[in-house]
Amino acid sequence: MTFDPRKAGLTLAAPLLAIVFAVLVTSIVLAAAGDPVGTVWQTIFTQPRPRNVVNIINAASVLYLSALAAAVGFRMNLFNIGVDGQYRIAAFAAAYVAGEAWMPGKLNVLFSILVAVVVGALWAGIAGLLKVTRGVSEVISTIMLNSIATALVAYFLRQVAEKGSNNIHTTTIPASSQLAGFKLVGDAPNAIYTLSVLAVLAGIFYWLLLNRTVFGFNLRATGMSESAAVASGVSVKKMVVVSMLISGGVAGLIGMPLLFGDAYNYGLTFQTGLGFAGIAVALLGRNHPVGIALAALLFAFLNEQSNSLQLKAGVSNDIVNIMQGVIVLSVVIAYEVVRRYNNAAEQRRVAAQLAASRQAEEVPA
Amino acid sequence: MSEPDLIAVRLTDIGKRFPGVIANDQVNVTVRRGTVHAVVGENGAGKSTLMKILYGVQKPDSGTIEVDGQEMSFHSPSDAIAAGIGMVFQHFMLADNLTVLENVVLGAEKLYGSGDRARTRIRELSSAYGFDVDPDRLVEDLGVGDRQRVEILKVLYRGARTIILDEPTAVLVPQEVDELFENLRGLKAEGLTVLFISHKLDEVLAVADDVTVIRRGRTVTTVDPKHTTARQLAELMVGSELPSPSTETSTVTDVVQLSVRDLSLTDPLGGRDLLTDVSFDIHRGEVLGIAGVEGNGQAELVEAIMGMRKATGTVALGDVDISAWSTARRREAGVGYIPEDRHRHGLLLDAPLWENRMLGHQTQEPNRTGPFVDRRGARNDTDRIVAAYDVRTPSIDTTARALSGGNQQKLIVGREMSGNPVLLIAAHPTRGVDVGAQAAIWDHIKTARREGLAVLLISADLDELIGLSDSIQVMLRGRLVGSVDPQTVTPEQLGSAMTGAGVPA
Amino acid sequence: MRRSTKFAAALTAGILSLALTACGGSSDDNGSAKESTGSSGAKSDIKVGLAYDIGGRGDQSFNDMAAAGLDKAKSEFGVKASESEATPDEAESAKEDRLIQLADGGYNPVIAIGFAYSEAVGKVAKQFPDTNFAIVDDTANTDANVTNLVFAEEQGSFLVGAAAALKSKTGDIGFVGGVNVPLINKFEAGYDAGAKAVNPNIKIESAYLTQPPDFTGFNDPGKGKTAAEGQFDGGADVVYHAAGGSGLGVFQAAKAAKGLAIGVDSDQYLTAAPDLQPSILTSMIKHVDVAVYNFIKSFKDGDPLTGTVTFDLKSGGVDYSTSGGQVDDIKSKLDDFKKQIIDGTITVPTTVK
Repeated sequence: MTFDPRKAGLTLAAPLLAIVFAVLVTSIVLAAAGDPVGTVWQTIFTQPRPRNVVNIINAASVLYLSALAAAVGFRMNLFNIGVDGQYRIAAFAAAYVAGEAWMPGKLNVLFSILVAVVVGALWAGIAGLLKVTRGVSEVISTIMLNSIATALVAYFLRQVAEKGSNNIHTTTIPASSQLAGFKLVGDAPNAIYTLSVLAVLAGIFYWLLLNRTVFGFNLRATGMSESAAVASGVSVKKMVVVSMLISGGVAGLIGMPLLFGDAYNYGLTFQTGLGFAGIAVALLGRNHPVGIALAALLFAFLNEQSNSLQLKAGVSNDIVNIMQGVIVLSVVIAYEVVRRYNNAAEQRRVAAQLAASRQAEEVPA
Repeated sequence: MSEPDLIAVRLTDIGKRFPGVIANDQVNVTVRRGTVHAVVGENGAGKSTLMKILYGVQKPDSGTIEVDGQEMSFHSPSDAIAAGIGMVFQHFMLADNLTVLENVVLGAEKLYGSGDRARTRIRELSSAYGFDVDPDRLVEDLGVGDRQRVEILKVLYRGARTIILDEPTAVLVPQEVDELFENLRGLKAEGLTVLFISHKLDEVLAVADDVTVIRRGRTVTTVDPKHTTARQLAELMVGSELPSPSTETSTVTDVVQLSVRDLSLTDPLGGRDLLTDVSFDIHRGEVLGIAGVEGNGQAELVEAIMGMRKATGTVALGDVDISAWSTARRREAGVGYIPEDRHRHGLLLDAPLWENRMLGHQTQEPNRTGPFVDRRGARNDTDRIVAAYDVRTPSIDTTARALSGGNQQKLIVGREMSGNPVLLIAAHPTRGVDVGAQAAIWDHIKTARREGLAVLLISADLDELIGLSDSIQVMLRGRLVGSVDPQTVTPEQLGSAMTGAGVPA
Repeated sequence: MRRSTKFAAALTAGILSLALTACGGSSDDNGSAKESTGSSGAKSDIKVGLAYDIGGRGDQSFNDMAAAGLDKAKSEFGVKASESEATPDEAESAKEDRLIQLADGGYNPVIAIGFAYSEAVGKVAKQFPDTNFAIVDDTANTDANVTNLVFAEEQGSFLVGAAAALKSKTGDIGFVGGVNVPLINKFEAGYDAGAKAVNPNIKIESAYLTQPPDFTGFNDPGKGKTAAEGQFDGGADVVYHAAGGSGLGVFQAAKAAKGLAIGVDSDQYLTAAPDLQPSILTSMIKHVDVAVYNFIKSFKDGDPLTGTVTFDLKSGGVDYSTSGGQVDDIKSKLDDFKKQIIDGTITVPTTVK
């Protein structure tokens, strides 16, 4: 691959400009509400303490998995909005299995992760099947399946939970299957989730699958031009089902770092909404494995740093949602502008180079 | 027609350019009031652009539009509607789950409201022109002919005095065509003017009072159908073409490479027959040309042979029945495919050339090793194609979008010729490419034929068809209606055969 | 790419509208969000940290009751306070971080509102053994420095259930729970028992607005209205809600159906709009304010409450309200039940059969 510094610079400029723009818009909102603009930015852009650094890395690894799950679909214009339901139902199933501890120690962890992947994949697969057999838009069906997942999990949770507490949850997984994590950040009392490794592995898997396999080629071809993919012999129906299975399988991983590194059971307070956050992160990261990683870190950083806004600046941390929203919106617009600019520039450059080479040919003659 | 010839619409010196293409150049059409005026020409001759200009969808770069003697400047279709011009598009724009009344009134509630007044008005119009449409029926219960009448009603309801019909018969079966023509005569009798776009010459001659022929963006002439034959009209439409690709000695063998039997296909949406009992053989070393006015089933035939559409009948490659095979399997068996629309079916515009070289061959050498993409193999082979087929590009990492049409097409031809194909399906292989690329592509097809390739050639360029083919079959309304000998036939004869005006002996 | 552009626009619009509503709600509260002190002359060195559940101060419900208790402590003892609230979909670490920041900032005691803080309190209390923590609505923690403040919601609900049965003319009453969690099931259990104590054949319709982890059922008047309308249409004439902010919809449905509604947590007759007041029969009062105030007071007095403290009918932690006078005629019957519960003659169940 040839590296084009101009193109790379433009690609990087878009998200940076979007962040600057988002800071501006957020500042205006803050000023309009009479909130202390300076204190807010001071709080957000202060250097995070070791404990917060660990939290950021942990949150980013979970967001990263979520964004990958969405990105697999996005690459072929398949909008899996159901990552949220998929990871919750998968995490519940894995938590139940892990709590039952049918296998010893670490084997229990591996088995539960497998269960999560299978459950997530099957749940997403329903939407894939509905699309290819009945033509149901995956956007609609996955949204519906989110609701159904919520109800199903709530129902089964009540069935299996220990009674007595207000915060019902599945049986806590045995200590031998709880993962202590990595104490990588100097003085931090908390540890990086052991299973944040899953994020790294999934990132490599995603990159390999899309860029190095024939399946990935077919997937990207379908995303770029479905009609051309069909003419080239790609079975789009098969691609839809398999992509949904992969997307759901990755979604199944989302809850695993939390489950084995922090919560140790699935209860009413198990973190929700990660699937939707992942969609935004995937858009911001342009469905690129490295881009998504940076986007996930940015979102995790903003979330973590905003946590103390109420205490330090007296401003609701919802302000960060505004900022994240503006970043995503402006970055997508910026990417589109850059894409068109690059297309036009490349066409001009190709024309110019060809004209130059033709002249060169004609000179000796 | 005895009344003084009042002019309903006069288009003078209309010109319209798109980047790289001149769609209209000095087009002159004069439409008399109270007549059916047909505009004919091959696909891409500029008919649709002209009508879009008249309807205010596009602005002309030059020229003037006069309606009822007054010069007009349309900025949008609503300006055209205000001037009494309405258009019925080839593809209907009706809401299935609404009634006829609701469809007609939609967007024009200001005229007669949406209740009884509107219903009365629709009944009036319907009976005045002999339409027989019940305003309260659901559109989804209506047949294609009735739907078309609803479209015309919509236009009349908005007060049109001049109605443009874009290829109105393309979607109709013969009885419906007759009914439509009855309706058009009814409109004419009431003093309305109809502009009728078509390339089906027998129909044009049956209904039109005047016929204007357009070729390559220019008006050729306007003729009186009473004194013109379909053959004459076809000659005017086709004109004289580029120098023909020279024919060579026959390389046809007696080994059948592709055998198609009783291929039939029904439109899954409308129930029309798109292909009916199509049967033919292509031998190794033979180029079989399919002649036909576009829209007569050629595209469907190609897609059925490629396995992209489900059809009944059998397709055999050599001795093997491949009817049930997937597209991928057919391609792996050595079927090369140059699609009609390279942007839709032939390229990934945003992908680099080397990835485009893989497209359609991603499951084959040298592009794969096991489940993985063989990047080195694909890239090296792309370099080979770029050199051998003279694809002008700075690099194989350039995106396909950045290339000119001719270079895109040369890449596709090179790709489809790779891996020793046994059958090549070439649909309009030189459409939209420059003369140099055209000659090169012809040469590649001829070379491959000499080496024993069987070729199915679809083309609207009659010189190309005659020059390259060893035999030619004429296709009309989804059937093969006869064959002509490319050694003896002229483009004019072929053109009239294509329009159903009769196959020369 | 174009499809994703459109999609991003929709997504962003969604995020923005959520965030803006949330901001709109919270901007009023900035005065109290920062460290603040009561205005009275009393001065104290005590700094109270208060971590709210989702909705925070201004939710017209559960969190506001906690805030009322804090405000009372501020004005009476002059304690300082710092407050922070949970956001939807936040990580568990965010809850921990909130408590750590308060404890680390020298706030003592630190009070967590809602069982969502159960695990966070457990973890943080171990890191700060010298800080006193309290948590409302949860009993999971047994550390010495954690006080569990819980309520006998079933007892108060028993009384309003009896009131509903006594007032019902159709023999058909309803219950609307915000979210289907054990805590809210307790309200329903008590309500059912109370109603059946009056009329064993009474028909009770029950509906929950959302299933966990979707906690919007506590803050969606639209859903509350729809559910209550269904029950009124089905023949119910009194509906009890344990649905926080969604209760407004229940009141509106009661007004439209010319039926009666029963409020929850605070005396909702007092805060309801005048046109809704005639529709409010009574309210099941859950004195979170008293719990918070008592806990702060005990800390100030140097003898903090410890272990699990249950606020029940006996201690006045739960009760029914009489504002509006609609229960005046049955007050003696209700007080009779109250006496029997207090002296143990009646044991109210905590789970729905």
